[in-house]
Amino acid sequence: MPGGGALPPGTSFPQHLALTMMTGAILQAINGVSLAALLFLLASGFTLTFGLMRVVNMAHGAYYLLGGYVGLSTVRATGSFALAIAAGGAAIVLLGYLVDRFLIRRTGENHLAQVLLTVGVAFVIGDIALKIWGGDSLKVHVPELLRGPMELPGGLVYPAYRFVLIFFSIVVGVLLWVLYRKTQIGAVVRAGVDDREQVSATGINVDRLFVIVSALASFLAGMSGVVGGAFLMLYPGAEWEILVYALVVVIVGGLGSLEGAMIGALIVGLLDAYGRWLLPEFSYFVLFAPMALLLLVRPRGLFGKDI
Amino acid sequence: MGRVGIGLALAAFAVALTLPQFAGPFWMGLVTQMLIFGLLALSVDLLLGQTGLFSLCHASFFAVAAYTTAILQVRYAVPTLLAAPAGLVAGTLLALGFGLAVRTRGVYFILITIALGYIVWGVLHRWSSFTGGDNGVTNVPFPAVGELRIGSHTEYYYFVLAVVIACALVYRVLIASPFGLSLRGIKASETRTRSLGYRTGLHLYAAFVLSGLLASLAGVLYVYYNRFVNPVSASFPISVEATLMAIIGGSGTIAGPFIGSGIILGLRNWVSSFFELYATVMGVVFIATVLWAPDGIVGLVNRLRAARARRKAL
Repeated sequence: MPGGGALPPGTSFPQHLALTMMTGAILQAINGVSLAALLFLLASGFTLTFGLMRVVNMAHGAYYLLGGYVGLSTVRATGSFALAIAAGGAAIVLLGYLVDRFLIRRTGENHLAQVLLTVGVAFVIGDIALKIWGGDSLKVHVPELLRGPMELPGGLVYPAYRFVLIFFSIVVGVLLWVLYRKTQIGAVVRAGVDDREQVSATGINVDRLFVIVSALASFLAGMSGVVGGAFLMLYPGAEWEILVYALVVVIVGGLGSLEGAMIGALIVGLLDAYGRWLLPEFSYFVLFAPMALLLLVRPRGLFGKDI
Repeated sequence: MGRVGIGLALAAFAVALTLPQFAGPFWMGLVTQMLIFGLLALSVDLLLGQTGLFSLCHASFFAVAAYTTAILQVRYAVPTLLAAPAGLVAGTLLALGFGLAVRTRGVYFILITIALGYIVWGVLHRWSSFTGGDNGVTNVPFPAVGELRIGSHTEYYYFVLAVVIACALVYRVLIASPFGLSLRGIKASETRTRSLGYRTGLHLYAAFVLSGLLASLAGVLYVYYNRFVNPVSASFPISVEATLMAIIGGSGTIAGPFIGSGIILGLRNWVSSFFELYATVMGVVFIATVLWAPDGIVGLVNRLRAARARRKAL
């Protein structure tokens, strides 16, 4: 019998194969959406800081990793996952503020300088994290309540944590969207994205706005490190891998667009999951080639504006 | 190039020729590496210094050329005379594809080239049945053409030196040509250059492909020096370090990228011999360069010279 294992009674081999493919396709869809949930959390901060401040922060991946490590240590010390999320986020808010205030601000709007500078910052963070947490792959411990396997209709078993993550990311996404689209502070931020000088001229303190948005972005990055570190591993080098995914999300979605980050995250998450499943050796190609094609047609991404 | 410049170049040449007389194998290896990575930095600077485009995917051309040559030599026993040019062709073909990124500018160009670079890294890393995965391709022999073969690292050093000097001369002709001038025109103001009737997109594309060819050449030289190649050679840090070398030495000049390569590789070798956190030191070098020496060593020297000239004039 091709394929080995026993078939359920009453099914022929092609039927069995079709069933396995179906199950696989569904599992990969969940994998893809849960990765998308994580990527959205990380990329939303990146895209907002770029939209408002025109800052390309290549240390965003390092923020993710460091936030994850801080969360990991917090769970080890206190056993509380919620506290870990808060601690991971808060640590990065503080670090992000210092990096913004003392380093990035001095580069003006020179993207080349920003990229080199923040790559340098990422090297430093990555190296120090390696020194503290070592070179092994580590996983943030998730409480029993969120972890257990979950049975889906149709007999599929899947870890519940990923559904929690998807739900969590949707909640954060909705909150961000409401904040961005429906509140006064969101209106000011959107105005700042469109024309910063004009906003400043109307008497709004743009600098304070920058600090708030940047703190929010840093918190999102640190927090995503904790929730991501619970199902992807944390290890030296993870900062660059996740950063590239986040970059593709914002490139596809359009820099500075929150909606773009949502759509981009879904596209990237699903392409990655199906690519790894169907063409494991070329999964990067499956992920990046459509992006390259899209950009040839629409260099600003799906929702991007001219900058 | 002034009289001082020619003097310096001749002195550097004389030192380079006699170096194997008094430097041991370790130092010769390091200097060969400096020349090779200087060439890679020069290829990055053809875009950055001449056209103002900041590409972060040059490690891809470098690595694809290196892999192609290595796989042909090791697995198919293809002679150097075919394997090395095949590497150049492969890297340049990739540049022909990636060059489409010049449709974008500014931050989009930076981000897209990063993503393109990761495609190459990902394929080299994951397509292990062909590329050897993380182990890469090992046991690459020294280059040989018929009876003529390079038998030692010192001989190879002279070979690399000759190639680098030839490249520098060609590069000098290139940037002094009308084409080079148009590139600097685009750097100063693309709209103005376009309004003068230049097809700026095409010029940038040509510069990108030439720069990819130069990076491929560095890749082929590298694989024969290093004797093996793995996905690290295609990784983002290589691209960004090459950029840093160009900037720290002095972007827009020919000597700058080589000076920068010497500084970075020298520093890394020196620091890593006694300090564990050398990646931190490299990170600090990045930050310090951006904040305090954005024009690099050459810029710093020029600034000092200008200051002295002003004092003299007073």
